[in-house]
Amino acid sequence: MCQIVYNPNYKKYNLGDTHPFNPIRVEMTLDLINKLGYLKKPLKPESIAPDLLYEIHEPSYVDVVEKVSNGEILKEAENYGLGNLDNPIVKGMAEGARNQTGGTLFAAKLLLGNKAKKVLQFGGGFHHAHRNLAAGFCLYNDIALAIKEMTKAGWHVAYLDLDVHHCDGVQEIFYSDDKVMTISLHESGEYLFPGTGWIHELGRGLGRSLKLNLPLEPFTEGDSYLDVLNGVVVPALSWFRPDALVVQAGTDAHFSDPLADLMLTTQDFERIYRRVVELADQFCNGRALFTLGGGYSLTAAPRIWAILYLIMFGYKVPDKIPQNFRKQWGEKISQNIPEYFHDPEHAFKPIPRKEKIVELNHELIQRMMDAVVADWL
Amino acid sequence: MLIREIMNKNITTITPDMKLSEAYSLMNEKRIRHLPVIKGDKLIGMVTDRDLRLATSKLAQHPFDPASAVQNIMSHPVKTIYPSDPIELAAQLMREMKIGCLPVVEASKLVGIVTSTDLLDALLLLTGINRPSGRLDVRLPNRSGELARLTNLIAQRNVNINSILTYPEKDENIRLVLRVGTMEIKVLAEALCNSGFKVIWPIHISCVK
Repeated sequence: MCQIVYNPNYKKYNLGDTHPFNPIRVEMTLDLINKLGYLKKPLKPESIAPDLLYEIHEPSYVDVVEKVSNGEILKEAENYGLGNLDNPIVKGMAEGARNQTGGTLFAAKLLLGNKAKKVLQFGGGFHHAHRNLAAGFCLYNDIALAIKEMTKAGWHVAYLDLDVHHCDGVQEIFYSDDKVMTISLHESGEYLFPGTGWIHELGRGLGRSLKLNLPLEPFTEGDSYLDVLNGVVVPALSWFRPDALVVQAGTDAHFSDPLADLMLTTQDFERIYRRVVELADQFCNGRALFTLGGGYSLTAAPRIWAILYLIMFGYKVPDKIPQNFRKQWGEKISQNIPEYFHDPEHAFKPIPRKEKIVELNHELIQRMMDAVVADWL
Repeated sequence: MLIREIMNKNITTITPDMKLSEAYSLMNEKRIRHLPVIKGDKLIGMVTDRDLRLATSKLAQHPFDPASAVQNIMSHPVKTIYPSDPIELAAQLMREMKIGCLPVVEASKLVGIVTSTDLLDALLLLTGINRPSGRLDVRLPNRSGELARLTNLIAQRNVNINSILTYPEKDENIRLVLRVGTMEIKVLAEALCNSGFKVIWPIHISCVK
């Protein structure tokens, strides 16, 4: 009962050759799975009309995004976070964003209609998009739209964000919502974008103690990451008992990522994904929707997302990357594609502060439990 | 940033003959700590929750009766500030007088109130944390043109600066805390280091020993 969702029109969300959010990451992932011989035919979602986005975004914001994307020049665009390094104005970007948003919404409907128990959407994950602000490579908040679709049907939804950046857009949209629990593991905002995601941000009103933030120390490694994941996510899900789990599976917590400083290896990602699938089975009626997200190392992201796919479909992660894949894409991106699927042992130099980092992260578990204990009765 | 931009315009005032117990209930009900005392349309005093608690405490040498009038315990004359004053003036005054609030007066009429909480809100706004952004801390030599060189480099990358805070260090240097609207903050910090800027935060990219 696993399905994958993808439409080649996702590629229209292309912010330029030098922009980190490059559609080639998804193409490489699909081709890697294909060359392994494991690629199932994706279900092809339709794009959505702009007015469907009013569920999440201010109409005036959608209007400006659509217009500048069609080539109109609007002075107010910069007030909406458009036209800068992270969110440049590129022709057709609104359509591309709607194509991917349509995919995430379609994936939610597959779960709602009991057409699938697990869905992997090969796009989306735009967790920094706010009601009326583009930010952090994101225009339209596909995740929020999909979650809203599920809560409108009466479901409780847990959202788990594995991207290295805090999910500020999703959190804000559901900050007072009692049907949605958001859990974000991210590198602390002490300098990193977007600067939010502190442990004291717990939700408002009926949504209180349903918005959980686990800001990890820079240079956190896999064991410590899993320690925090198990320490908080397990009690959270077992208490909240959602009807479905939505996961933003950004891969930028990998040690080679150029934009952040967490130190996960592919082996760590494999352990994390296996654990998350287990948790979905145990506490979320077996339903899980995975989207992609950040992840800007072209040699790491495709391997990690392929691992997620292989785990969902019950395949073993093979030892080696197919030779023809390495040759073809290595030439195309002018980088050496690793020979093996998994990172080498001792992939990076030992982290000097490791002991302190482990200790600080471990403290987060108790601090979080202390903060929510009164509400989790 | 001026007082009129941050002041509270919905003011709850009382008259000098109000009982201490009534003033206490009013503070609880409105969840406020400061009550300006008005006679006619003139501001004649100020009562805080601390004034009330100290005046009526059993530990006081001569505790006031809850039924006595606030005019017996109010602070006066009152320190005030104008709507057109800069907020730093309010901070200086409150710090020097060790008080938590300043009534705002224009043409002898009470038009607003500023408390330490409003100043904290102003500080949050000044730090630029209200918009998604990353944080940079840079040490600059205290001479003309350095800040321009820095902001130029950031502008060339088409990165928006949400806020700049500066403060003097003990020596002749100036410290700069910037919030910049980009995911590529690590890349930006490295580029600034390479252009000779002393980046202090993020600490692991820092080019300062």
